[in-house]
Amino acid sequence: MNQDTVPLLELRGISKTFPGVKALDDVSFSVYPGEVHMLIGENGAGKSSLMKVLCGAYTADAGQFYSKGEPVDIRSPADARKFGIAVIFQEFSLVPYLDIAQNIFLGREFRGSIPGIIDHARMHSEARKILDLLGLELSTRTLVHELGVAQQQMVEIAKALSQHARILVMDEPTAALSDRETERLFAMIRQLQAEGVAIIYISHRMAEVFAMGDRITVLRDGKKVGSKLPGEATPDELVRMMVGRNVDMTYARSFGTSEGEMILEVKNLHAVNGIKGISLNVRRGEIVGLSGLVGAGRTEVARAIFGADKVTAGEIRLFGKLHQGAPDKAVRAGIALIPESRKAEGLALIRTVCDNLMLPGLGKAFPNRLYKASKARKIARELIDRLRISTPSSFRAVQVLSGGNQQKVVIGKWLSSDSKFFIVDEPTRGIDVGAKAEIFALIDELVRQGVGVLMISSELSEIVHVCDRAYVMRDGRIAGHLAREELSEENILRMGMHHE
Amino acid sequence: MNEIAMDEPSRSFSLARVPGVAWILGVLLIGFTAFSRDFLTGPNLHNIGLQSVILLILALPQTMIIMTEGVDIAMGAVLTLASVMLAWVLVHNGSLPLALAAALATGLMFGLANGMLVALLKMPPFVVTLGTMGVAQGLALIVTDGQSIVVNSDALQAVYGGSLAGMPLPLLIAVAVYAFSHVLLYHTRFGTYVFALGGNAEALKLAGIRANAYLIGVYVLGGLMAGLAALILTARMSSGHPTSAIGMEFDAIAAVVVGGTSFEHGKGWLFGTLLGVVAVGVLRNGLNLLAIPSSAQVACIGLLVIVALFIDGLKGKQ
Repeated sequence: MNQDTVPLLELRGISKTFPGVKALDDVSFSVYPGEVHMLIGENGAGKSSLMKVLCGAYTADAGQFYSKGEPVDIRSPADARKFGIAVIFQEFSLVPYLDIAQNIFLGREFRGSIPGIIDHARMHSEARKILDLLGLELSTRTLVHELGVAQQQMVEIAKALSQHARILVMDEPTAALSDRETERLFAMIRQLQAEGVAIIYISHRMAEVFAMGDRITVLRDGKKVGSKLPGEATPDELVRMMVGRNVDMTYARSFGTSEGEMILEVKNLHAVNGIKGISLNVRRGEIVGLSGLVGAGRTEVARAIFGADKVTAGEIRLFGKLHQGAPDKAVRAGIALIPESRKAEGLALIRTVCDNLMLPGLGKAFPNRLYKASKARKIARELIDRLRISTPSSFRAVQVLSGGNQQKVVIGKWLSSDSKFFIVDEPTRGIDVGAKAEIFALIDELVRQGVGVLMISSELSEIVHVCDRAYVMRDGRIAGHLAREELSEENILRMGMHHE
Repeated sequence: MNEIAMDEPSRSFSLARVPGVAWILGVLLIGFTAFSRDFLTGPNLHNIGLQSVILLILALPQTMIIMTEGVDIAMGAVLTLASVMLAWVLVHNGSLPLALAAALATGLMFGLANGMLVALLKMPPFVVTLGTMGVAQGLALIVTDGQSIVVNSDALQAVYGGSLAGMPLPLLIAVAVYAFSHVLLYHTRFGTYVFALGGNAEALKLAGIRANAYLIGVYVLGGLMAGLAALILTARMSSGHPTSAIGMEFDAIAAVVVGGTSFEHGKGWLFGTLLGVVAVGVLRNGLNLLAIPSSAQVACIGLLVIVALFIDGLKGKQ
């Protein structure tokens, strides 16, 4: 790395606001030729937003880019490409029914001698060269949907390499790779470095941050906390820089002391969705956190317990009784799942508050199977009062309510069915600060009435403030368990990032 | 991930790789040959070919539209309107090229409207084309006042009855349309982006491609092909009739789906559609020979779709 030269790319004062969130707040950042610049931060710190701004997918609200000292505009993916920026996305930008070569050169097809006809022969020979560089022995005619996740990741990398980028942005490129493939990728990165390519590398793994990084920048809450050289920082120091998110409020929570009856016990659970050997338990009257970085397999655990994804080994016990089967059985057994995407999975948006609240409890409220509107309205009114749902009437469509009130409806509908065990997945996503406190107060009230709650959250501060204890996940497994007194953002990050 | 994941997917031939439509076609051919003495004869096969031409011209662009996770249910109505326009121009002006231009222009306008509503206003394709289907159907009735427009044109007669180097003209047109579609889908940017529109439209946008332009283009292609099909349809009937191609989109969509094209992920192939068209054509022809009424034939085509999806679904599970 050569600090004396002009940065290949420099960002000054970049800000990007979405409704309700400041994703990036006055971030300045630079990369030099031949440098691997590591970008770290906890979930929602702004890494992915920064990357999207870099590749032109988002346009920054404020700030300026400089390429080799000259001010430039990046307003579209085409602009980014012009300045030699290529991005390896974590969510694959691949087309399933095109072959490897077509995917690598998507949007940059070679023109042949006949006008309008793609030169496939040249495309395949160029693709072959790149695959050989990466040590991939796959045929370039293989359709992408036939590939495994690791192979798709390699194609994604090949796609970025083929652009002969001067600046390569990688978002957790090793997340899906085996050790052998990771080594290959690292060798590739070192070779590119030697050729003067600048690399921006987003990582959740402490080991590779130190192994590959020339410089490490830490983001938190959309702001840059600082940059360090690997020699002058320790993993603990970096973790401390990443945590300490501003908590604007204290969550109401009354921690119980006595050990309640065992509600849920999961032993050595494996499922088709990729979770391996999950063991955990939840007792009556406690909120147990399920933490870890995005992609660690938290939602997958919830889906396996609820029966939405197929379990391949292990057992689930509810109140000591063996439980297995589809979601309808889970609901009858008293499990309520409050999903992450409440609009898609938790609510019938165009139906009324009353209809939504009554849905799971219909069988219980009307045992003779005849619906009575007056009774439904009465039950709905009670729930609306109890949950303090702010709606002009029980006949208002759910879609006009605020996010916080929608979430209360999702929780409330399970109250009408007397569920005993709640799985809440990201309960405060997209909810403003005031409503968050109310949601937690509601969950706390549930717990005091004797239910058990398994809470998934990407907000480490929520886990720390709200949970009695927490499990931390990594790569589809439970990486560790933190008791109330051990529960801190630093400990969660340490367990979640391969760094003990 | 482990070593196993790096193995190349098997390319070897196995029975499980034979598409469902090929099984169905085989069963239909054997069945009809067994039950009807007239089925496997030169003149009858010639007949099946001629009858399948219009269906193929509609089903090929429909394949591409469905690959983009869309659908065009207005095709039958647009074909009807284009046929009526063609007949009207021919009767009033007498020029076949001008009449064909009118048919193509009709298709182009409807294709453009469908595409723009779907791509720019993000309206669901089913609803958009349901609407334009009504418009096209209504216009066809208005233009004709509900009556057939009978055409006495030698040039038009020659389109359906004529032949070149021993091949009937309609079949030649079908071969040309298939070749054109094949080159378009597999050898041009347009085709590559059709796969991407259904498979991962986001990837296309990130690659800096104006995805909407291509999405509109797919619907325009559908409209133009309906206009071209109007030439053959009008020639076959020597008239433009305001209900002549009603329900034709049903056969076209059935042929596409039977052929193995999916409404998701940009999965589709033209050869499958060709087989699907032949399967629908063979089924209709065979049922005709067995004197099964056309209302029952529609039910049989419905069953054909379900059986084909069932077979492909079985294979998907393996």
